[in-house]
Amino acid sequence: MLKALLPPVAALLAAGAVGAYFLSLEPASEAYDQALVDVGIALGERIRSAGEAVSFDLPRAAEQVLRTDKYDTIYYGVRRADGSVLAGDPGLPPVPASRKPEDGVIAYDAEYLGRKIRVAALLVPCGREICTVQVAETTNKRRALARNIVLSSLVPELLITLATLAIVWFGVKRGLAPLEDLSSEISSRSARDLRPIDPGHAPEEARPLVGALNLLFGQVAEASRNQQRFLANAAHQLRTPLAGLQAHTEIALAQCEIARSHGVPDELRVQLEQVHGATIRTARLANQLLALARAEPGGDRADTFTRVNLRAVVEDAADEWVHRAMAKEIDLGFELSDALVAGDALLLREALANLVHNALEYTTQGGRVTVKTGLRNDCAFLEVEDDGPGIPEAEREQVLERFYRVAGTAGTGSGLGLAIVREIALAHRAEIVISTGENGRGCKVGLTFPHG
Amino acid sequence: MIDQVRILIVEDDAALASGIARILEREGHAVDVMATGEHALLGARQESFGLVILDIGLPGIDGFEVLRRLRADGERAPVLVLTARDALDDRVRGLDLGADDYMAKPFAMPELAARVRALIRRSQAQTGPKIVHGPLILDTLARRAQLGGVPLDLAAREWAVLEVLLARVEKIVSKDAIIQAVASWGEELTPNAIEVYVSRLRAKLDPAGVKIRTVRGFGYMLEEFREKKTDQ
Repeated sequence: MLKALLPPVAALLAAGAVGAYFLSLEPASEAYDQALVDVGIALGERIRSAGEAVSFDLPRAAEQVLRTDKYDTIYYGVRRADGSVLAGDPGLPPVPASRKPEDGVIAYDAEYLGRKIRVAALLVPCGREICTVQVAETTNKRRALARNIVLSSLVPELLITLATLAIVWFGVKRGLAPLEDLSSEISSRSARDLRPIDPGHAPEEARPLVGALNLLFGQVAEASRNQQRFLANAAHQLRTPLAGLQAHTEIALAQCEIARSHGVPDELRVQLEQVHGATIRTARLANQLLALARAEPGGDRADTFTRVNLRAVVEDAADEWVHRAMAKEIDLGFELSDALVAGDALLLREALANLVHNALEYTTQGGRVTVKTGLRNDCAFLEVEDDGPGIPEAEREQVLERFYRVAGTAGTGSGLGLAIVREIALAHRAEIVISTGENGRGCKVGLTFPHG
Repeated sequence: MIDQVRILIVEDDAALASGIARILEREGHAVDVMATGEHALLGARQESFGLVILDIGLPGIDGFEVLRRLRADGERAPVLVLTARDALDDRVRGLDLGADDYMAKPFAMPELAARVRALIRRSQAQTGPKIVHGPLILDTLARRAQLGGVPLDLAAREWAVLEVLLARVEKIVSKDAIIQAVASWGEELTPNAIEVYVSRLRAKLDPAGVKIRTVRGFGYMLEEFREKKTDQ
């Protein structure tokens, strides 16, 4: 804004200074001209004429008085109509042909003996002809005057310019300060923060902007809530029929087992196992979508976090994981110390469940998975480490994206697990780091929570 | 082996209800299925059930209300709550209203069967002095133990540790929890001491197929007894 204001303000003040210069130079210059004309009139009265004869008589003393000036050299000349010089300095430049004297008087600039001069010329009747009286002076006085005018007008103008610019600068800065506060407030927000801005903090001029922004925030938040509500409802609705499907495939599989033990071939078993596997995956996907909907901004969760001990979250949920670990003969272990965070216990449990699920999924039989909680540099952390194939360094960012799956992995995951973990980490302002496990093998995913 | 009981299933999804019913019937239980809360309350007043499996998302009066009225009517049978909704919120509310266990849909049938067995065992244990776990029988009144019909010699602390584990079959019991339960009648105990008792218990129980699993860095879990390995 200041950049936009500076050139026009400077130009305006410059124009003002130039205008003042010319406006005050003109009358001052006219007064000097008039003084020359007065001398010219006095000289004109010294022309005598008798018939054809014209003479000019100026006493020596008078001429000396005439030529005396403190600053400038004075010249004069009297010419007859034919151009012959009656008296004075002979080489004074004549009146330019292009200029017509008004009331027999004219003032013009010229050059004489290599110096700039100002000439006043008068037409004086002398006998039957008209003589010309020229009085000229060098321009020292005038230049001094111009200099004075410039100094006396430009210096104040310059000071006014600087003062104006300073006022504009302070004014603009002061006026924009609330806007800057507003923009820094908005830019410091996380993408999930869709709360309206308090219009009380905004300057009067920015209120309509704040109002419009709040309207937009509201609409975005509402759209996001609707989407999440839909996702949550859809996931809820899917769970019951999926439970029925799972129940019946499991019963059918059990019947296959009985048939086989009675020597009856169970041709359908392979197909049933496929159906069962797909059911389990679909059910997990429904759960994950629900978790994702809950973890996202505006999700269906309590706004206020409570004090949650990560250790308690792990201890509570450990039963759910240990059976799966046992089935795969994976040594699932724990290194737990207290780790208090401000958070949503349900979401944290979901994040942990996803991390442990992944670790168990990608660790081979007989492998080792360890869940850790505690404090590191005063910050609470939770960590799940396995000795599976690990995640290539180049893909560690991408695995956090939804539906991304590491190429060539054996599991049947949806690619949502780590995306959910990331959402939950974001909601808790926790940092998520994927690294190589201890001993340079496997994968370690850690969440470090903000201090305090 | 646990006794067979009469089980009430309250679930409006016919497919799921029939699936659960078949599983539990195969375990030898008698099963009634009701599709609404109103029917369930009527049924519970007329019959005596050993266990209620109750869906929360019922049409009409919901599962929470059914649970509240059941308990208000003096129903003492254990209640296993099923829900398609948020795991933790519903669980807390359900447990507050007097539910005994909780499962989120969908679930694996073996898991449901195991929970049902645990609930029935627990309710029977409360009424009887005997804790039965496969071939293992603990007579808490006479303080005598049997394994496969043969008297089992258990030191007092071993008995205490085993009792804690038996109360939570298939659940991880932390070392701290064991220390707290066992030290209530004794002096200070270290985690190392617990390890010693568990390893002695293992030596005695393992040959009969009663397995205590170590969960590294956490505690122990008494596995559900299986007659023979179904895997492989």
